[in-house]
Amino acid sequence: MSQSLKPYLTAVRSSLTAAICLQDFSSQLVERHNRPEIEVSNTHNPELILNPMIISRNENESILIETSINSIRISIKIKQADEIEQILVHKFTRFLTSRAENFFILRRVPIKGYDISFLITNFHTEQMLKDKLVDFIIEFMEDVDKEISEMKLFLNARARVIAESFLIPFD
Amino acid sequence: MLQIEQNNLLIESTLTERIFSNTFKSLDRIVSDFDFTTYHLSSIENKTKILISINLKCWNDLAQYGVTQILSEKYQPFSSVLSTTDAEQGYNYSFILDLESAFDQDQDFKLSLINELSLLKRNSMAAPFCAAFSRYDELFKKYANVNTYSEEVQMELQNEKVIIIKYRGLNESIYLKPSFDRVTIIFSTMFQDETDKIFGKVFLQEFVDARKRSVQTAPQVLYNTEAPLDIANDVKKGEHFVTFVLFPRHLTIGDKRENCISHIQLFRSYFHYHIKCSKAYMHSRMRFRVKEFLKILNRAKPENLDDDGKVIETRKTASGRTFVK
Repeated sequence: MSQSLKPYLTAVRSSLTAAICLQDFSSQLVERHNRPEIEVSNTHNPELILNPMIISRNENESILIETSINSIRISIKIKQADEIEQILVHKFTRFLTSRAENFFILRRVPIKGYDISFLITNFHTEQMLKDKLVDFIIEFMEDVDKEISEMKLFLNARARVIAESFLIPFD
Repeated sequence: MLQIEQNNLLIESTLTERIFSNTFKSLDRIVSDFDFTTYHLSSIENKTKILISINLKCWNDLAQYGVTQILSEKYQPFSSVLSTTDAEQGYNYSFILDLESAFDQDQDFKLSLINELSLLKRNSMAAPFCAAFSRYDELFKKYANVNTYSEEVQMELQNEKVIIIKYRGLNESIYLKPSFDRVTIIFSTMFQDETDKIFGKVFLQEFVDARKRSVQTAPQVLYNTEAPLDIANDVKKGEHFVTFVLFPRHLTIGDKRENCISHIQLFRSYFHYHIKCSKAYMHSRMRFRVKEFLKILNRAKPENLDDDGKVIETRKTASGRTFVK
């Protein structure tokens, strides 16, 4: 793990642990409704929404944590150094979001400016262990970077082999 | 499978089956190959003969460079069993294979006949390449003792005719330009989507660099998104250009030249095939990674939940029995 990654992840971990403090809360607007307050547009009562928080490692990598009384939205910006990484990240996040129903906490559409978003509600924290949920987010952030750079390396290595094996028979 | 086979496997197996079986059976098979090539194999005259026809997108281009002559030379050794005929309706060129006389031939003859017939596409496509390479031979002789740096000679070489093969219909083409010390082959190609384009760029960069790094004797490869000057007035938008510069060492008459022709023809198929392969690999890799993520997420769920989602405490003895409350 590189020097700057560890403090970044530590900061994310403690912020998430603090932020995931959710309770059941019925909608104040519509009777018998129970909605994740963070997803309700801001015409709604602002006292239910807490201050959002951005933790950045650098301009390309950051995480946005938006908290409300009964839900929390986590949006991650994944590192994309060049157009190969861009396309790989795009493909990968699309792959994930199209399987969102298996992931429970994954949001189908990311928040604008971010690559992938999670939405955790009080119902999720009732069913799942909070610490493990935080672990999941942290491991996800670690693995996604690793996976993308591995895929990129693989692509380059493959291209090299392909080029050489095409050019060698000429001689 | 790193390399793409030169010959057509289905033609090879069909003919092997027919020629070695010593029986007459009816046959009607349409076989397809790269670059929209189709073959038609059908039995005629009481099943004693097989009609083999080929249809190529670029036949008109090939005809300009003497494809019929090249094919008849190529299949000359087999003239005892193979005769040319008028092209079948909807196809460009046809052979009639006489099974009765083919049965009597020895093993080697049969095998080489089958092999050459399965290379029919390669042999037809070779025509313009042969034309370009023999033009190179002429120019090489002509300028052997001339100062090739003089302006007149440079002008003449500039005006050398470019051979165009529109082998995939309208969009993608091969351009050949002979000179006295090299033959330039330009492939124009298009990419289906953005991913293909970026993967293609990575691949082509390696083609360009391969010569610098490890395969010093390889042809020079250049990659461009704008048309090279020689063919600038003849191209469409959105095409990418890959240029191969073949040097005299690649054009040595004999096996090397033949090998070079067979190999370079398949560049586009090879290139796009490997782009698709990498995409497929990436896909399977992502599938695996997503599964791993799911496992991690599922760890967050306590193992035993009752219908209300509450944790049930179960304790087991060493032998695996559970306590009943």
